[in-house]
Amino acid sequence: MSVNYNNTAAGETISLAAVSKTYMTAKGPLPVLRDIDLEVKAGEFVSFVGPSGCGKSTLLKIIAGLVSYDTGNVSVGGEAPREGREDIGFMLQQSVLMPWLNVSKNVELPFAISGRRDGNTAKRVADLLELVSLTPVAKLNPWELSGGMQQRVALARALALDPGIMLMDEPFSALDEFKREFLNIEVAQMADKLGKTTLLVTHSIGEAVLMSDRIIALGANPGRVVGDIKVDLERPRRADMVGSDRYQQLSNEVRAALASDLEGEKQ
Amino acid sequence: MTKSVLYRVGLPTLVGISIIGLWQLMSALGAINPIMIPSPWDISVGFSELVTRGYFWQATWVTLQETLYGFAIGVSLGLIIGALTGTFPMFRTAIYPFVIAFQNTPRVALAPIFLTWFGFGITSKVVMAAVICFFPVVINTVAGMASVGDNAKMLFRSLGASRAQMFFRLTLPGASAVAFAGIKTALTLALLGAIVAEFVGGSVGLGVLIKELNFQLEVAKGFAVVLFLAVIGLVLYGLIELLERFLITWKHD
Ligand SMILES: Nc1ncnc2c1ncn2[C@@H]1O[C@H](COP(=O)(O)OP(=O)(O)O)[C@@H](O)[C@H]1O
Ligand SMILES: [Mg+2]
Repeated sequence: MSVNYNNTAAGETISLAAVSKTYMTAKGPLPVLRDIDLEVKAGEFVSFVGPSGCGKSTLLKIIAGLVSYDTGNVSVGGEAPREGREDIGFMLQQSVLMPWLNVSKNVELPFAISGRRDGNTAKRVADLLELVSLTPVAKLNPWELSGGMQQRVALARALALDPGIMLMDEPFSALDEFKREFLNIEVAQMADKLGKTTLLVTHSIGEAVLMSDRIIALGANPGRVVGDIKVDLERPRRADMVGSDRYQQLSNEVRAALASDLEGEKQ
Repeated sequence: MTKSVLYRVGLPTLVGISIIGLWQLMSALGAINPIMIPSPWDISVGFSELVTRGYFWQATWVTLQETLYGFAIGVSLGLIIGALTGTFPMFRTAIYPFVIAFQNTPRVALAPIFLTWFGFGITSKVVMAAVICFFPVVINTVAGMASVGDNAKMLFRSLGASRAQMFFRLTLPGASAVAFAGIKTALTLALLGAIVAEFVGGSVGLGVLIKELNFQLEVAKGFAVVLFLAVIGLVLYGLIELLERFLITWKHD
């Protein structure tokens, strides 16, 4: 409604060059990512699909500076990754809301932690809740909300400090099909309007096609890029695109890229 | 939930009254030896006599002090040790095996030792109460801190939280519900510890009073004190539940 989409931070570029990562586990070294090359343009919406365990979450955590990498080069908005950057908003599969804080206090958390709470914070929190259509439940407790609403709170919290980059790790996978599609469209349109660089990890090929500008298919053991598919569906995205021929073609392309990797594995 | 208040309160009341009635009847008929089990009527008479005596209230005051001091000391130490154990892995590795080992030994067996160390006064009882309620607090604090999820920690890190912010905004509230369950147990145990220590050796207190009344074959009054202790225990538990409701207002599992 009266939400102001202007004046938000512009998207930032992300680039990875020959990035590899091996976890040291009790059972010995576990290579999870090998030679990842990736250039994400400012404002681009990129999805990552691939079998579980192929290192998708690790990739996001590396970009967020939460996990180190062994070799290669990572640049996020022109800087090396570092944890706690205010220009990155992170959203996880679980909403991870604090039950001792009400909805608006949860959204306010990033302001409180970064020490940026000031006279404008209340207004900003109210705007964020408006943006994700949660104004009526601002004073409720997290456990009084449905799963979909809880994820919206997490979305508002990730957007709180107006980051140039949004990292989303399977944010919709705990939701049922209906709520999921609804949020897919909403988030895709929001990303358009806000112009943020968005990286989305998802299990759902359909979701990836519906939301992204580009889809990176990852193969497993260790994780590496096996497909890079440009999605040329028009924007803004709409729910009815799910039925279109182009949508089907693109889904099949992604599926083929993932399957070719599985074929290779069998030999 | 759906059952009426009349049902939920009425039924147990009815059972209670029936038991007391039956008990009184059996006593009146001489089916129960009053030296072993005095009748409800005699117990009431004994109680109404006790409440007029200064020594009864003095004993109550002493036992309450022992319980509450022991509780305060045991809980404070338990929270501190628990927080250190939950925060520093090295501390945990070094200390926790002993906590677990000690948790599983019957700590009331220490009462005679505390008596020789600290004498017949209030100190040996306070120490016993503190020692006995220390452990559930440590263990629940550690468990509560462990229950704070990796995702929440990850989120706080991604927000750039400092160690202090991590502790005060995540670990502390996240652990408090489970830790509080330990504190509730501790209060019940503190009363138990104080009474046991009084049994072992003391000059004033409700435990001492029960022993003396039994020696004097004032069995009805002895029973009255035991029932009075039950009421004290219930009141303390009610108070700590109120405190919990005030402090932990959110839903947890
Ligand atoms: N901190 C860690 N230490 C050791 N192994 C890890 C760690 N995090 C993830 N792994 C392992 O690395 C692999 C990739 O994990 P992840 O990045 O979560 O994959 P995905 O998100 O694609 O399912 C998995 O086999 C996982 O068990
Ligand atoms: Mg993952």
